[in-house]
Amino acid sequence: MSAPLKAGDKFPEGVKFEYVPVTDPDPKSCGMPQEYNASQEFKGKKVVLVSVPGAFTPGCQAFHIPPYLEQYNKLAEKGVDLVVVIAFNDSWVMSAWGKVNGTTQDSKVLFMSDTKTKFSEQIGWMAGMGERNGRWAMIIEKDGSITYAETEKSPREVTVSGAEAILAKL
Amino acid sequence: MSPLKAGDKFPDGVKFEWAPITNSDPTACGMPQEYDASKEFKNKRVVLVSVPGAFTPGCQANHLPPYLKDVDKIKSKNVDILAFIASNDCWVMNAWGKVNGVKGDDILFMSDTKTMFSQKYGWAAGMGDRNGRWAMIIEKDGTISYAENEKSMRDVDVSGADAVLSRL
Repeated sequence: MSAPLKAGDKFPEGVKFEYVPVTDPDPKSCGMPQEYNASQEFKGKKVVLVSVPGAFTPGCQAFHIPPYLEQYNKLAEKGVDLVVVIAFNDSWVMSAWGKVNGTTQDSKVLFMSDTKTKFSEQIGWMAGMGERNGRWAMIIEKDGSITYAETEKSPREVTVSGAEAILAKL
Repeated sequence: MSPLKAGDKFPDGVKFEWAPITNSDPTACGMPQEYDASKEFKNKRVVLVSVPGAFTPGCQANHLPPYLKDVDKIKSKNVDILAFIASNDCWVMNAWGKVNGVKGDDILFMSDTKTMFSQKYGWAAGMGDRNGRWAMIIEKDGTISYAENEKSMRDVDVSGADAVLSRL
């Protein structure tokens, strides 16, 4: 297992997530999961990658993701092309969670499953609760360099991984 | 352990994890609690349905909706509890119930990860940890009067609302 990524490192090759693209805003309609080659898709884009311990869970739902959705325009003004939210839940659950939070087909905030290559586990940032991802955020620049990579001291807190902290670093 | 069958008694020590639906907003979280099924089911007629996953095709598309439509018919046959379980955690189960319009406890949505009932006493999906797709009817005295597993995860036949209604 490699050490956590830090500012100055490059986003690694071989990182893949799984997701169900939003084609219908109704969270009861299902889509088919597909592979998302993050290492490839992120090239040439400024990306904020946010990891959470679980979809639909308190803390997570209550005040981590909503600020990212509400303040997306502010993030875009600072050059962010994409926000990707990952967790250990499968891609159907992530898709439904995104939809109940109001994402649509055109949304630049994507909800994906980290079960394909277990990226959060590979970089050593877990929640300490079974297989759950830790709560952290990264800023990845267009050239692949990571300019910010911070994990919460406790999964119950939203400080260094929150939208405010990210906006302050952009 | 082999799957339960008609004539067996519902076992002791079966617990699920449950975040009760207390409001209809799927972005508001529920608080998980232990649900002692072996205790809660005593002296009640129960329909217990297991699915491979919340929010997944097959599941969502044609297993749960017929139960939602027929919940009153099912309850009118002296059924006290209708519960859905899957291997997702209880927060995901809570949200799945809510997005399907479930407002209270007319249908319970619970996580099977506490005591892995489906693996121990039912059937697995053959897809990682996922529960199989099956249904059981448990009578007031704890006897299982119906326990049927789908031949394929993609079918909703013996575990569907129509099949269960015809046996109630």
